[in-house]
Amino acid sequence: MKILAFDTSNKPLSVAVVSDGKVLAQMESTEKKTHSVTLLPDIQACLKKADLTAQDLDIIAVAKGPGSYTGVRIAVTVAKVLADTLNKKLVGVSSLKLLAANGDKAHILVPLMDARNDNAFAGVYQVNRDDLRNIIEDHHTSMAKLFESLQDYNQDQLEFINATPRLQELIQNQFPNAKIIMSENSLPDASKLAQLAENTKPVENIDDFVPTYLRLTQAEHDWYAKGHKDDGNVSYVEEV
Amino acid sequence: MKKDTLIMSFESSCDETSVAVIKNGKEILSNIIATQIKSHQRFGGVVPEVASRHHVEEITKCINLALDEAKVNYEDLDAVAVTYGPGLVGALLIGIMAAKTVAFAHNLPLIKVNHLAGHIYSANFVTDLQYPFMSLLVSGGHTELVLVTAPGVFKTLGDTRDDAVGEAYDKIGRVLGINYPAGKKVDQMAAVGKDTFDFPRAMVQEDNLDFSFSGLKSAFINTVHHADQIHEELNKDDLAASFQGAVLDILSNKTFRALKQHPVKQLIVGGGVSANQGLRKRLAKDIEDKNLDMELVFPPLRLCGDNAAMIGAMAQIQFDKGDFAELDLNADPSLDFDME
Repeated sequence: MKILAFDTSNKPLSVAVVSDGKVLAQMESTEKKTHSVTLLPDIQACLKKADLTAQDLDIIAVAKGPGSYTGVRIAVTVAKVLADTLNKKLVGVSSLKLLAANGDKAHILVPLMDARNDNAFAGVYQVNRDDLRNIIEDHHTSMAKLFESLQDYNQDQLEFINATPRLQELIQNQFPNAKIIMSENSLPDASKLAQLAENTKPVENIDDFVPTYLRLTQAEHDWYAKGHKDDGNVSYVEEV
Repeated sequence: MKKDTLIMSFESSCDETSVAVIKNGKEILSNIIATQIKSHQRFGGVVPEVASRHHVEEITKCINLALDEAKVNYEDLDAVAVTYGPGLVGALLIGIMAAKTVAFAHNLPLIKVNHLAGHIYSANFVTDLQYPFMSLLVSGGHTELVLVTAPGVFKTLGDTRDDAVGEAYDKIGRVLGINYPAGKKVDQMAAVGKDTFDFPRAMVQEDNLDFSFSGLKSAFINTVHHADQIHEELNKDDLAASFQGAVLDILSNKTFRALKQHPVKQLIVGGGVSANQGLRKRLAKDIEDKNLDMELVFPPLRLCGDNAAMIGAMAQIQFDKGDFAELDLNADPSLDFDME
């Protein structure tokens, strides 16, 4: 099983080619580069190093969000077009789940992405018989609400992953004994993404595959807040 | 006999996702256009993040429809082309990433196309272009006079100093209670009304080829607001006719000033506002009145707005020149031609 996996959900970029569990090539970048510029050359370089062509692949695996809207869109667009154009299987994995894969298997894992103003994208995961299970779905939340939902757990068991200094401060106030992994020590690893993809059902309809934003755009949010409703199954985009 | 060239082209610079297959830059085998107008009408104008999201939803559907309608496979293609600017950066990136992926997956050369050049080369589907020719680009984002001296060689002679002409239509449309995009409705009202308000024709006395529409827009809005304050009802058709009258005078004045400096055999009009019936009639009449031996070319209505077919037409010229891009291509949201 040959898998091409990549993540551009946030500042770091990770690309890997994995064949039957063996990492044939991997490229990482943490510097502030433009993912739109580097992603395809990095994919090309990884395949070359693995001595494979895109045609040889079985699965395209992508971190589908949440994350930076533009960042997630770049990876998802490449993944869906590549899978579609070469008739390959497409697998989308939560970008938070991929961060959870960096955690200690014995812990309750809380991958985070700072969404400013003491909000975050977060999910809660636990390893059960070697399988990373989602126990609280990925969502956009205030840190206060997230802490509330974690009250029942023994705080020694909690491991927060991908914290910024501000989130670290909030977590320490609430759970002084919890383990906290900072962003720079919890980079997404595309070889782990490939591993997760092997146990994830492929996307059924590639056309319908879109990023998991977990948030409406501000314009849509405001529009619905004014009491507007979609009348039935209105299609906002039409072929002309 | 020269072998046919088939180019798959992508356009996603604003609120249309479009993929086309073009033969020899001249023949449209398919030109799929998915428009988001209904979505953005909720907000009264294009919201960039919403546009980007729709492009991701549509992109593979458009690719497959374009292949099906053209009755070709990837093996039949010779190159992949894409708009890389100007436009909304998040929107441009979807077409760019998709085009790069198709080019990479099928080992095809990649061609980066300037969106404005695409609008100009829409005319390639209508006529045989004779160089040099003059081009008037009028859309929601641009108002430019461009001299095309040879295939793919552009010189901007004049540009707007403030609003684009299509943008001015949308803004005064809002004051008249017309939802975006307002151009078509204002054009229809103008055909019924009379030019009674005598709005200012900015810069028509000045000996340059630049445009300005913000003064006209402000005069229009002030007139309507003043009437509202004194509870006077103004005739909306006359307002539309007066606005359009000023717009056409400005466009005509600058276009023929440019043609006087650079006499050519063809005047090509392109961009969304080239669908305007008032503009079509006005330029045709001017050419007749001035007794000019010049062909006036408007694209068919379907090719006035954003579409990938025009990108394929321009791409053919770059293909013939061997002007190819690499997989590190990025969007250039403020791309423009060189000024003279």
